[in-house]
Amino acid sequence: MSGALPVAIGNYLGLSTAIFFIGVAGVLLRRNPLVMLMSIELMWNAANLLFLAYARVWLNNAGHIFAFLVITVAAAEAAIGLAIIVTVFRTRANVDVDEVHALRG
Amino acid sequence: MHYPLLLAIWLLPLAGAILCWFLGPQLKGAAGWLACAMLGLSFVATMLSWSSGTQHVAGHEGAHQLLGSWLPGFDFGLLLDPLSLIWATIITGVGFLIHLYSVGYMHGDRAFARFFAYMNFFVFAMLTLVLSDNFIGLLVGWGLVGLASYFLIGFWFDRPSAVAAARKAFVINVVGDVGIMLAIFILFANLHSLSFADVFAGVGSLSTGTLLAVCAFLFVGAAAKSAQVPLHTWLPDAMEGPTPVSALIHAATMVTAGVYLIARCAPLWSHSSGAQLLVGTIGGLTALAGAILGTAQWDIKRILAYSTMSQIGYMIMGVGVGAYQGGVAHFFTHAFFKAQLFLASGLVIHALANEQDVRRMGGLAKKLPFAFVAMGTGVLAICGIPPFSGFFSKDQVIYGTLAHGHPWLYAVGILTAGITAYYMCRLLFVTFFGEYRGDVDPSYLGIRHPELAGTAAHEAAPSTHDHAPAWIMSVPVGILIVPTITIGFLMAGGDRSWWSRFFAAQFPAGHVPATAISELQTTLIVLAVVVAGIGIAVWRYATRTAQDDAVERLRAESVHMPAILSNAFYFDAALDMLFVRSSQLLGTFFGRTLDPQVIDGAVREAAWSAGKLGTIVRWFQTGLLRTYAFLIVVGAACFIAYYALAGGMH
Repeated sequence: MSGALPVAIGNYLGLSTAIFFIGVAGVLLRRNPLVMLMSIELMWNAANLLFLAYARVWLNNAGHIFAFLVITVAAAEAAIGLAIIVTVFRTRANVDVDEVHALRG
Repeated sequence: MHYPLLLAIWLLPLAGAILCWFLGPQLKGAAGWLACAMLGLSFVATMLSWSSGTQHVAGHEGAHQLLGSWLPGFDFGLLLDPLSLIWATIITGVGFLIHLYSVGYMHGDRAFARFFAYMNFFVFAMLTLVLSDNFIGLLVGWGLVGLASYFLIGFWFDRPSAVAAARKAFVINVVGDVGIMLAIFILFANLHSLSFADVFAGVGSLSTGTLLAVCAFLFVGAAAKSAQVPLHTWLPDAMEGPTPVSALIHAATMVTAGVYLIARCAPLWSHSSGAQLLVGTIGGLTALAGAILGTAQWDIKRILAYSTMSQIGYMIMGVGVGAYQGGVAHFFTHAFFKAQLFLASGLVIHALANEQDVRRMGGLAKKLPFAFVAMGTGVLAICGIPPFSGFFSKDQVIYGTLAHGHPWLYAVGILTAGITAYYMCRLLFVTFFGEYRGDVDPSYLGIRHPELAGTAAHEAAPSTHDHAPAWIMSVPVGILIVPTITIGFLMAGGDRSWWSRFFAAQFPAGHVPATAISELQTTLIVLAVVVAGIGIAVWRYATRTAQDDAVERLRAESVHMPAILSNAFYFDAALDMLFVRSSQLLGTFFGRTLDPQVIDGAVREAAWSAGKLGTIVRWFQTGLLRTYAFLIVVGAACFIAYYALAGGMH
């Protein structure tokens, strides 16, 4: 049986999708790595929102556990991403991702 | 029947070889004495084994020592029966005397210890060959003596001709090894055992064709090792080795391994008349060809080499047609007189500062009386003058061919005996009679290329010693003279001789049909032909006028030598054309065409395609973070689309 939700599940689904694609657009379109990191963070949180919404619908705590895992991984990712950005800035005094293309084949 | 003394006979020379090899720098001159001592002890052990080697216990002849088992049905052991006893006696006895001689001959050589290590190793290998009780052990010994021969022919490896001769001998011998291997494969496929006893017991179950194939392949090995036509060309070249090596390996022992093989496999040959005809014919051809070529040589060692080839032809002819006692008897006497001839030639070469061309000798009877006596008795023995040893054994072989129904081989044997007498006396007269010609200009003697004719410093022995033969070289030659003269009496007396009784069990005489010409008449015919041969040699080289006119006559003979003889019947050229050239053509095809175009081509094509693929794939690698992110998004979208559609279908 499903638990009653004050707001219909379709609204959560719509909100989550909107946030996710805002994140995708941010990663693809912005050239500032800090903003790109924040956009990735948006995608993480869109996923979290869905996990929690469906955990409530199906009364299954696995969704909560996944949300915690996502937060942990997101924290690690942010730490590494910031470290890379700081290092790049130190060597180039510039953090435009389109200027960083030393690995071009 | 365990007989541990066999292990001593077999392993003492190996111990000597190992000690000489590893302790050579410390031992210096003592290495020679160590090698002699090891071989001497081995000889003593052989002598002590005579009674055991000839005993009959429960149907088994001789002494046996098991070495070990490999797989079920593969027992390795040593066997001492009358046949291997005769060979072991020659190998260790004559080998010991030649080792002793080498101590003097090789004195001062910078690789003195290495020489004796090789010599002892050779004796060990040869004993492996003759003492094994199965075909595998025989093949191992067969390969090892070839290796030892290669080492010793190429002993002076700073001489290109010696290296080439060693390589030639090795390659031709490997041809023989392959022949024996094929024979072994056929035997094992049919009889499931390789011990001599099992194989010979099962001969009756082999078909005629199989048996002929086995014998033919075995004979390829025997022909390569024993210098039979057409695989003989390595033997004259093998004279590049030091003279004691020529005496031990290329006269007395190793080159007779083919005779041993056929005598050992007598039960196979006795059941195959085709094999008898084949081997008898090749043996007769070799005897004749070697003798004819012997008449045209000027290098003292090459004359002896061709005479060795010719005499082994006799032995092979004898054991081939079934006259096993005669063939082995000729091996036995030949080992003594040919070793003596070689050692005597070594005395001459040593005394003349490495001169080997008989045209530049002459008159040495006065200068080197001992060498003259040694060479003279050897020549009388090889000619077959009674009562010298060769007389008894050669007649046995010649009469044996008639008794076993081969009149053509009989005629060839008699003719060869006459030619042998001629060229051996020619060697003796030109070398020892007349005036010394060493100070005559080589061109007056018809020597066109002194450096090619074995004239100038051919043997790279040291020059810092007096040239009188030391006692250490004379004593072994002196000892050898005794058997050269007397050993033939063992074979005197026909069926009642010591020799016949010795081999009565191993090679039973069987029923010999009456022949048109009796044994006594044969002896008289051979003697007449031999005397005629000697007479021609005397007429051409030893009369008073011939001696006075020697320089002019030798020049004329050299200049007018028929090309077919000076080119040794073009065997070398023919083998070169058939095998060497064709191998080179094949090699050129592989080297110039197949390898660069097909093999390398395939590799190059693979590399080119990988490169092409790379230039295509490079296009994705922009290095731009946002491109990658975009591709990831597209990829993820594709995945999702796929699973969404696939899920929709279910």
